[in-house]
Amino acid sequence: MLQERLNHLEEKQQEAAITPPPVAPAPVAEAAPSGPQSNDNAFNPAISAVLNGHYAAFTGHNPTVVGFAAGDEGGRATEGLALDEAEIGLSSNVDDKFFANVIASLSEQNGETEVELEEAYIRSLGLPYGLGLKMGRFLTPVGYLNEHHAHTDDFADRPLPNRLFLNNSTKDDGVMASWILPTDIYSEIGVGGFRGGNFPGGSPDGSDIGSALAYSRIGGDIGDNQSWLLGASALVSKAGSRAGNDGSVLFHGDSDLYVASLRYNWAPTGNSQLQDISLQGEYFWRNENGTYDDTNIGTGPTPFDQNQSGWYAQGVYKFAPQWRIGARYSQASAGDTPAALIGTALDSGGHDPWNAALMGDWTNSEFSRVRLQYGYEKPANGQKDNQIILQYIMAIGAHPAHTF
Amino acid sequence: MKRLTYLILAFTVLMPHMAQAETRIFACEPEWAALANEIGGDKVAVTSATSGTEDPHHVRAKPSLLAAMRRADVVFCTGAGLEAGWLPVLMQQAADAQVQPGNPGNLMASSFVRLMNPPAKIDRAMGDVHPEGNPHIQTDPRNIVAVAKGFTERLAQIDVENAGYYQGRLGDFTQRFQGMITASESAAKSLKGAPVVVYHDEWAYLNRWLGLNEVATLEAKPGIPPTASHLQDVLATSRNAGVKMILLAPFDDDQAAKWLAGQIGAKIVRLPFTVGGRPGTETLQATFETTVKSLTQP
Repeated sequence: MLQERLNHLEEKQQEAAITPPPVAPAPVAEAAPSGPQSNDNAFNPAISAVLNGHYAAFTGHNPTVVGFAAGDEGGRATEGLALDEAEIGLSSNVDDKFFANVIASLSEQNGETEVELEEAYIRSLGLPYGLGLKMGRFLTPVGYLNEHHAHTDDFADRPLPNRLFLNNSTKDDGVMASWILPTDIYSEIGVGGFRGGNFPGGSPDGSDIGSALAYSRIGGDIGDNQSWLLGASALVSKAGSRAGNDGSVLFHGDSDLYVASLRYNWAPTGNSQLQDISLQGEYFWRNENGTYDDTNIGTGPTPFDQNQSGWYAQGVYKFAPQWRIGARYSQASAGDTPAALIGTALDSGGHDPWNAALMGDWTNSEFSRVRLQYGYEKPANGQKDNQIILQYIMAIGAHPAHTF
Repeated sequence: MKRLTYLILAFTVLMPHMAQAETRIFACEPEWAALANEIGGDKVAVTSATSGTEDPHHVRAKPSLLAAMRRADVVFCTGAGLEAGWLPVLMQQAADAQVQPGNPGNLMASSFVRLMNPPAKIDRAMGDVHPEGNPHIQTDPRNIVAVAKGFTERLAQIDVENAGYYQGRLGDFTQRFQGMITASESAAKSLKGAPVVVYHDEWAYLNRWLGLNEVATLEAKPGIPPTASHLQDVLATSRNAGVKMILLAPFDDDQAAKWLAGQIGAKIVRLPFTVGGRPGTETLQATFETTVKSLTQP
């Protein structure tokens, strides 16, 4: 009798030990919600579209920046009311080892709608030891800003050196390997080989690798509210034939570009949503060795071996959750003009072109932003250009995620 | 010869460490970092991507996070779209195979809990809505218990050797936590049905737990700061309902709340929201105790 009771008691105790303590009423304790329906659409990639448009007014009638032969994207924004590129993006994991991203841009140029493949790349997900592989077409990580899409920029246009040395933003077809070191501080190095078909390269030859890239970057935090990223990169390109200044200037030869960049962020209250300060600067140095031909003047291919440089610095202050203001100064220096090219587009006349810009923007949500920018540019000796740009940027579809 | 001796010495010093290396956990939010420490004890090394005063919606994919992600064995986040603006970028850039979705090292707390209020209709005109439901699950301690169980199972699967250790710690934690829950519930009895205004819909789980009645949000729409016209509506609603408390997370802007408080004579209550959100909330238990204390203080 007693034994029975004891047994019973023991059973009860065991039960109590096994059964977890009562947790919560039904809705919480229930297991995970019913999973997604299994149908083909469930595997659709994340789709997003970014729409940009602007109104721009300029007082300068001759916007050509002297001393450089800028690529077709390197000029100032379209004057008047204009629709910028509409970017359409598709991205998804391919499988457990690869991620794919396609971004096409639709734009109108000379009355015709153009579809351009901005980026189409595969990124590895499954390599060990922090190694990564990226292949396809993508914005090259030369400097800080180039890798970022224009719609995430803090200003309505790119700084002068990006316009002159990188044709606003350079992308190329190729393959790139990277390694994130297993250190407490973020440090990454990478190398890449590219077709070299785009500015600063051009018209690659046969099976040659037209352009090669090496980069390294380190970054970290200072306390809880500040972070920084320091980068150095080199892009070495061989241009079979590269057109500049609307096709009137041809370059043939080696174009080597070195960029150092710094970005710093400070959230004074510890919450970047309320207040945020970001400082950013890049220094560019370029050596070009080959021939320049100004076809407007008819110089014929003229030997050229020059060092050129440029830099910009900017600060942006978010003073309220939806409001930011910013200032930027950028400058480029073409260096001495070879005697044979005096009087051509490559003759800077001793003038270092510069641009100063002020902007203010309003961000309604993470998906929409409206910006007003005033710029003052000195593209050449005696030339000045007041620039007003009113711009909107809207994103629809999948939630955007941005790199630092 | 001397060099060789150093090498051997280095190995003998390093080897034991390598053999019983800690499991590295990258937690997106401080509540999961705290939970990982509760369960993992000294067998885990935990990094929290955000602090208690940061809004987990808006975090920069900053370099230090990339470095931490690169070395993580487990990524422990809320999921349900809460980190949509920054986590995917880190995951792709760090390209750490073991933490990609589908691998044991990828752990989303929201998968252990039934999410409240998934929107019937999804449209960005409604603001930054989360199609999966409300992701702020950590404000209900009963959710923490459910996540603790799921996390322990996963950790035991990844680090089989220490499975028993983790199970033991889970038992201790759950027992302590249950005590806190029971005590909190009885301390907060008087709050049942109390009408409150919140900044963002971030207190849904807390409100359900303690029976608070959320009558309005200061934000016009999720992720969109308060507007004057919306605040007029909130004022009328709050007056009608007799609101006595306005709940704010540590990172919420208090301008609109101050205005409303002045109009209706309510008090602004800054709740911790998560571990480290207010002074003295260094543990999960203290976070909930502070929450209840802040709500019940006259």
